[in-house]
Amino acid sequence: MTEDLTAIRVDHFYAHPPAKVWRALTDPELMAQWLMPNSFRLEIGHEFTFTTDPRPNVDFDGIVYCRVLEIEPGKLLKISWSDGKKADWTVSWRLESEGRGTRVFLDHEGFDPDDTAQQFSRKIMGGGWRTHHFTKIADLLETMP
Amino acid sequence: MSSDALFAALASPARRRLLELLLREGDQPAGRLAERFDMSRPSVSEHLKVLRDAGLVAEARRGRERHYRLEAEPLMSLRDWLSPYERFWRERLAALGTILDEMPSTMDEKDDD
Repeated sequence: MTEDLTAIRVDHFYAHPPAKVWRALTDPELMAQWLMPNSFRLEIGHEFTFTTDPRPNVDFDGIVYCRVLEIEPGKLLKISWSDGKKADWTVSWRLESEGRGTRVFLDHEGFDPDDTAQQFSRKIMGGGWRTHHFTKIADLLETMP
Repeated sequence: MSSDALFAALASPARRRLLELLLREGDQPAGRLAERFDMSRPSVSEHLKVLRDAGLVAEARRGRERHYRLEAEPLMSLRDWLSPYERFWRERLAALGTILDEMPSTMDEKDDD
């Protein structure tokens, strides 16, 4: 498998039918509970924000600027996602029935292949290097005085 | 230690491999590390020097040999910087699961059994 250097892909299975997952995914109040407080509306072209705690160490003021790009009811939601500075990403949630439940595929795309820091973080995240190694490092640190 | 120096140090596959070996197998002399690579020993030493300068490994003389060990601290300090999004999404998707488990289903959302 070739490594996609511009995206993070994560998936998760839920033991709930797609219609219910879709509702949790697109209802602004429910979205606020699992993601972040927001001014989202399920409407193509709608511009909205998510607000969270600022993280000065990564130069993030706590506001994510978004726009609804694609909607396929019950199946797909795609939004733009920007920190208002350099990052300009898209995030999409795709729902697929799986047995009696639903698998959600999350794609966070648009990492800049020319931005060393972004790319490096991509590489570490995507290569399993981070998870695998940081877990071990974390274990190691636990045992250190 | 600046993030730039750490990134630069970690950007090389050979240097990540060196860290992996130290992580998995523990402290070891430079010579034993070098045996695992196709490149010349001076090249391996050069990579070790970059890792040392970045604070990722520490060196200790034991007899005639130089032993290297992993210094995990700088990596830990970078973790927040490096990993925000995958970790973020995994946590958020897990939180979505909690919400779903607590949400009552509407009529159209019932399982059809």
